[in-house]
Amino acid sequence: MSSSLDKILANPRVWRGRDQAGRQAGLASGYPELDRHLPGGGWPRESLTEVLTEHYGIGELRLLMPALARLSTETSPQDFTEPGWIAWVAPPFQPYPPALQQCGIDLSRMLIVRPRDDHEILWSAEQALSSGTCAAVLLWPSMLDDQASRRLQLAAEKGRSWAIAFRPLAARRQSSAAALRLELHASGQGTRVHILKSRGGRPAVINPLI
Amino acid sequence: MRSRACKPPALVRGAAPTPLVVQQDLPLEPVGDSLGGQPVQVARFASRASHVPSGCSLPQPTPAEHLWFCVWLPQLPLEANRSSDAATAIVEEQHGIHRILLADAEASAAGVRPKQAANAALALLPALQLEERSLLREQQALEGLATWLERFSSFVSIAEHDVLVLEIAGSARLFGGLQALRQKMSKGLRELGLTAALAIAPTPLAATWIARAGRRACIRDDTNLAAVLRKLPLACMDWPANLCEALSGMGVMTVGDCLRLPREGFTRRFGAEYLLQLDRALGHLPDPRNSWRAPERFCVDYEMTEEQTDRELLLNICRELLLSHEQFLLARQLGTQRVCFSFFHLKGPATELRLGCARAERSMRRWFELLGIRFEQLVLPGPVIAVRLRSGMAQPLQAESGALCFHGKPGAKIRRFSITELAERLIARIGDQSVQAASMVAEHRPDYAWRSQSLLADWSGTTLATPKQFVQRPLWMLPEPALLPADSGYPVHQGCRLRLIDGPERLETGWWDEAGISRDYYTATGTDGRRLWVFRNRNRTSSWYLHGYFG
Repeated sequence: MSSSLDKILANPRVWRGRDQAGRQAGLASGYPELDRHLPGGGWPRESLTEVLTEHYGIGELRLLMPALARLSTETSPQDFTEPGWIAWVAPPFQPYPPALQQCGIDLSRMLIVRPRDDHEILWSAEQALSSGTCAAVLLWPSMLDDQASRRLQLAAEKGRSWAIAFRPLAARRQSSAAALRLELHASGQGTRVHILKSRGGRPAVINPLI
Repeated sequence: MRSRACKPPALVRGAAPTPLVVQQDLPLEPVGDSLGGQPVQVARFASRASHVPSGCSLPQPTPAEHLWFCVWLPQLPLEANRSSDAATAIVEEQHGIHRILLADAEASAAGVRPKQAANAALALLPALQLEERSLLREQQALEGLATWLERFSSFVSIAEHDVLVLEIAGSARLFGGLQALRQKMSKGLRELGLTAALAIAPTPLAATWIARAGRRACIRDDTNLAAVLRKLPLACMDWPANLCEALSGMGVMTVGDCLRLPREGFTRRFGAEYLLQLDRALGHLPDPRNSWRAPERFCVDYEMTEEQTDRELLLNICRELLLSHEQFLLARQLGTQRVCFSFFHLKGPATELRLGCARAERSMRRWFELLGIRFEQLVLPGPVIAVRLRSGMAQPLQAESGALCFHGKPGAKIRRFSITELAERLIARIGDQSVQAASMVAEHRPDYAWRSQSLLADWSGTTLATPKQFVQRPLWMLPEPALLPADSGYPVHQGCRLRLIDGPERLETGWWDEAGISRDYYTATGTDGRRLWVFRNRNRTSSWYLHGYFG
């Protein structure tokens, strides 16, 4: 019995979630409820996170702000480097600096890029991710296919940066190389977070979080 | 020997001449073909200037602190103006008649001589190419040479229309001594296709005269200067013809003869100017010169013989231009933030490609990288005949300090390029206006409480210390407030009435300028769960606007 199980597990096509979990400490999101459901106890650093929303303004930024604020002000104790930059690629509206400052973001380490077309959005995001100077790159692509998401994932690993792509709800049916996919649902009571995919974790629904 | 004869004349007058010492460290150079002069044994004499105390020279020479290198270009009119390899002569109009000014070797062999009438020259050699002398072209060639010579010295001066002088006491050691410097220079001049006579002397005028006399002398000390100058013929001083005639009529044939003349009489007859020249040449009087400064902007054209469409070739040309651009800036310790390439077409206006950098930059590699990003997208409407590179305002270069690197440390950040490099790449591809930083402004009006700034204009990202605001601001801001319809006094967004959950926050300010506001801001929620930042204008009756989302 056990030998046949071993044989199955030795097959490289079998993917074992447990091996992946806890490999890397996550970035605390500032929402303990969410952290409990995420492998590593927080946002997966150095990978692509997808946030799917029906429309903007339902708390998708507030969800990220505590983590981004820490990234933009904290120096890593390991290598004494300066805190990283936060790049905003093709935001749908103007990120409002006074509000960002209220959230604790260092404005002097913020870069807003407004490319003209979708190809340039992906190019700029890839450049920013792989540069190694940006701690986080937020992007709003109008489309992101499987291949593009793979490229972003690779660039994030290469530059040790956190990529966050905001996409419409319709994208949930597409496959993606993202390490974490979230879906936000807003209602009168608040915003629910669905974890659609989590590398090394399990799908979950977190009721009104924000 | 080294005591540079600063003694008063009375002490030296009776002294026996010290034996001649040939300098050991300065071997004699063989005479080059292009130079007609004879080698001069450069020797160091004791001060013999004081043997003739009644002459034109003042008895106290100053010690040589400077060494001047003179480059005389006797063939400059020919070399700057000629357009082909055929036998050429340069003509100049004198009293309505074109006369030969200078003829090349081939023409001279056929009997063409200076001052001949152009017709006579053509009769001697029908195939002779006659070129009108262009002083502008000569000046350009001279300035080009001065720019080139700046690599040898920080002080290059255009002395006359065909003479350049450089101060080299400061840089001789850097180039491995005077001899090595001179060899480097004459090799470079040969490559530039210029015939030059070179001389080194402690004063610029002496160096010029020695070069013009065709002596390949290298005089380091004031003590030798007078002795060498004395032997030079009158012609080397380039004085007016009538003056030279008058002097030679008096039996004055050399500079030494001139110096022997009584000073008062010389001044009375010929004017003080020439006496001053003699004193300057001997170093008795200071001879200040203007340093040549190359234009601080780089602008170089690369012209092709025929139109080209090969983009690879064009890119290589750009690379070459950037390389000379780098050398230009390197010589001045400068960098620039902007460069502009112009691709010229035979028909239609030139295509321009502008590149910008966040910091002053000169490195060819860096500019070429930016060019590569933009060149891919560049649409050239036709084949290209010439490429021009123009650099922007040059600025002193700020050296960037590299980060201290801990090798082999696990978890150390991989930094491929800095934020400035990242911004430059983004700007090069998607344009200056599309990449921005933001900073705060101390202002209550929400629209004016922040400012976006170009990354190229000011990189430092200054954030003003603003008083902490206790009222929550929305993370998303609309570029312009959007008018909302109202339903019995409440705002309506996307078909549903909004619920006001917080507010009002009254902002009534800005009366001192055109954009004064008087608004009541509220936080509102719709049925879709969005939180909105809306305001009611108090100036008009109950008109609601949407200003942002609490993202």
